[in-house]
Amino acid sequence: MSNSLNIGSIDDIDEGEAKVIPGDENGTGNDIAVFHAEDGNFYALDDTCTHEEASLADGWIEGTEVECPVHSAKFCLKAGTALCMPATIAARTHKVEVTDDGLVLYPNVAANADA
Amino acid sequence: MALESVIIAGGGMAGFTAARQLRDRGYTGKLTIVDPEGMPYDRPPLSKDYLLAKRDATQILLSAADWFTTHNVQVITAKVVELDVDTPTVTLSDGQQLGADKIILATGGTARRLPIPGGQLPTVLELRTMKDADHLRSKLGDGVRMAIVGAGLIGAEVASSALQLGATVTLIDPVDPPLVPAVGEVLARRLHQMHDQQGVSVVTGVPTDITVNGNGVHTISLQDGETIEADVVLVGIGIVPDTGLAATSGLDTDNGILVDESQRTSHRNVYAIGDTARTRLADGTLLRRAEHWEHAMNTGTTVAAALLGEELPAHGASWFWSDRHGVHVEGVGSMLGEGTQVIREVEGIPVAAFRIDEQGMLAGCAAIDGGLMVRAARRIIDKQKPVNAEQLADPTIDLKKLAR
Repeated sequence: MSNSLNIGSIDDIDEGEAKVIPGDENGTGNDIAVFHAEDGNFYALDDTCTHEEASLADGWIEGTEVECPVHSAKFCLKAGTALCMPATIAARTHKVEVTDDGLVLYPNVAANADA
Repeated sequence: MALESVIIAGGGMAGFTAARQLRDRGYTGKLTIVDPEGMPYDRPPLSKDYLLAKRDATQILLSAADWFTTHNVQVITAKVVELDVDTPTVTLSDGQQLGADKIILATGGTARRLPIPGGQLPTVLELRTMKDADHLRSKLGDGVRMAIVGAGLIGAEVASSALQLGATVTLIDPVDPPLVPAVGEVLARRLHQMHDQQGVSVVTGVPTDITVNGNGVHTISLQDGETIEADVVLVGIGIVPDTGLAATSGLDTDNGILVDESQRTSHRNVYAIGDTARTRLADGTLLRRAEHWEHAMNTGTTVAAALLGEELPAHGASWFWSDRHGVHVEGVGSMLGEGTQVIREVEGIPVAAFRIDEQGMLAGCAAIDGGLMVRAARRIIDKQKPVNAEQLADPTIDLKKLAR
């Protein structure tokens, strides 16, 4: 599946903030969080923390990491890697592109971690 | 000489973190975890999701089994019963002797028993291990009368879980409200009232005696003469650090195994981390022993750095959480001490408490369902940024902006 989804203007998400594209809108059934990281880039991960039920979009975004608002597990926004306990499982990444028409999300297409 | 072998006694959060950090930092020598419970698992779910059977034993492992294979970490299911600090060598409960360059003690503690008649009854339960949680779960169900002594984090969490399992719950604590040192008076009151609102019978009192009759019904007598009957009794009043092994092998102990800031004990071959370790500063000052999950993780990280001769990590303000009755509680820094307490309310309900010290710096913050506030507060505390009480109290002010 490589559908893409226009999710609005880059100005909709301030740096250090995130927004959730609900599962029924993005087609995966799982909520996806789109982050505007402090490196200026946009990244997307499955919104639900891999540890316990919590929304990563509500987390603390610092640099290119997000810290879960419940138990402080940290994830790399670029690659989804679980950076510290209590999470041990990586978060799934989704590709995000900045285009002239705004932000485009590719649900279920893994982000290129080097991007 | 490069470090070639490490034995970690205890595979809880501290011991596991030490192993993981040693490997993450490039240590390639022999690495062994010895724990009577075998594979390292995470304890916080024991009073919540694990007790409720929402997560099973595999789902609370600190790492999947293949991690240990991939990273060449041997896990031996046994207890360390003897320690020779000079060689250094450990003797295991199965008679096996193992030597290593360095030994890390991460043996945690045992649940504190009530020092009253009946306090040692085998049917007076505790919750420290997965086995304890399995046993407790097997006793709970519809209509079971449960009494919990101690309304701290574990007591409160189990009260919440037991309700969900159909039990009727009586929660006994000598203090009303408990947890003031952790979250301040106002939030402690709100949290304690929540028990009552959810249908827990909250009793303020001091148990003086526990008896059990032939039908397994317990009677808990309180100092004021009140008695409480219960089918299941759980005591959650803290832990006693496991210092016996250290003390008999000649290490300095004082309500904990004494360690310096690199987690090294009084002997250069042995380190101690987690609940059982207590920091003694260079000038001899003893710090309060910490029993939180994050402290276990932090000291595990520190010991790995120390053993490899790396710079010791800075950890910042301490942090804890608790989940009960559908709310998430967190605290960072210390709410206990001099200064001003500031409360943030939303629609008349207190959601966060802050302590500003006498220098005008934020010293502590606790919040109910306010994860981002606590994360912001933690950074404000660590950066030593001066704060303003009006801003902290104002729910329209985003604490995150103050932290940047």
